[in-house]
Amino acid sequence: MATIKNVKRWFTIHKWTSLICTLFLLMLCVTGLPLVFHDEINQLQGKTQAAPPMPEGTPKASLDDIVKAGRQQYPHDVVRYVYWDDEQPNIVTVNLADSINAPADVYKLVVVDERTAEVLKAPETDKGFMHVMLELHTDMFAGIIGKLFLGLMGLLFVAAIVSGVMLYGPVMRRFDFGMIRRDKSTRLKWLDMHNLLGVVVLSWTLVVGITGVINTLSDVVLFMWQSGQLKEMVAPYKNKPAISGELSSLDAAVKTAVKAAPEMKPRIVAFPGTIFTSKHHYAVFMKGNTPVTSRLIKPALIDAQTGRLTDIRTMPWYVNALFISEPLHFGDYGGLPLKILWALFDIATIIVLISGLYLWFARRKATAARINRILQSEAVTQAAILNEQL
Amino acid sequence: MKNNNFLQLWGWPLLLAALIMFGLLAALIGTGLWHWLSWIALTVPVVTMGWYLFKKDGSGR
Repeated sequence: MATIKNVKRWFTIHKWTSLICTLFLLMLCVTGLPLVFHDEINQLQGKTQAAPPMPEGTPKASLDDIVKAGRQQYPHDVVRYVYWDDEQPNIVTVNLADSINAPADVYKLVVVDERTAEVLKAPETDKGFMHVMLELHTDMFAGIIGKLFLGLMGLLFVAAIVSGVMLYGPVMRRFDFGMIRRDKSTRLKWLDMHNLLGVVVLSWTLVVGITGVINTLSDVVLFMWQSGQLKEMVAPYKNKPAISGELSSLDAAVKTAVKAAPEMKPRIVAFPGTIFTSKHHYAVFMKGNTPVTSRLIKPALIDAQTGRLTDIRTMPWYVNALFISEPLHFGDYGGLPLKILWALFDIATIIVLISGLYLWFARRKATAARINRILQSEAVTQAAILNEQL
Repeated sequence: MKNNNFLQLWGWPLLLAALIMFGLLAALIGTGLWHWLSWIALTVPVVTMGWYLFKKDGSGR
């Protein structure tokens, strides 16, 4: 029958795609569990700074003073980025490095009160438990190769999910939803659990899996944006000599950007010479005010000598796709209850992975035992035949 | 022998998948009430798993 052949084919696909990716997926699910709560954990460890309370509407200090405060902490370094975080009101973070071309993971942070331009307790650069979890989860300490490899594992995971769904129909055709045969055999019990949890968390695993794969392409997306839209936006400056001397006022640059996009607010400013802009521009990345538009960024380029706005655009679709997929992978966009639900789905996925692994072992053992039985009975028959002949 | 029709087989999985998709998107497009709707929608599949996993009287067949 054709359907039996089909089921066998889906089973083979399910077995092999799962076998290859399961151990990596287990690692991802386990390391992802604490990462869901990274805000809460940082807070518990006292790693997040809070700005002291001040009356509502206290005026903000000039961004130029804030940058100066950052520079004073590290006089030999250059400022690369200045950014804001909705989770930390009234705080601006200045990101410095020993050179403008230093690798992205080499940086020092200065946390500044937005109203007084006073430096708050500088955060310790985190090399502890959470850092290890994050590195394992994103690239297993193996840079872009590790990241893309995990992306590939994610694709296999998606294939395993799809083939699993194709098997659910034929397997469950004669049974009720949610059946768990506790009294038959351990293997059947685990099989039923695997089917039940797998089909219930199905769409969560698909969403988190696919957005995870998209996240592994972040470096590729950055490269596409640099060589596409950014290159177009800075084309008039291609042959201009590098900026010499002081940069124009950052405070004025951000005000100009806000005027060009009045419905938005700045999220991060990239200083001239960094990978997110040209050698001549401040890039002010503006974000919207609603939950969805806050994920959609508009880059405004400000000439860092004249202080004039030279271009502002909406990001291309592939950048938007990345930014929209980030929250759907992290689960950090709906308060603590969503994070707890996220963790429960994650644990269910871990059980599906482990039960799948167990089923493969148990099946192998069962197959081995069957072959053994056949061989034994073969031996018995042969002995009988021999007896008769004698 | 039992032979499920489409709804008997896929009704629950489809309903739960729809609830999860709604829950994931609701928290993304709004705050306040939308967050509550999201939490409620996503609690249903979690409770469903718990119900069948810890049910005492075993199989339903």
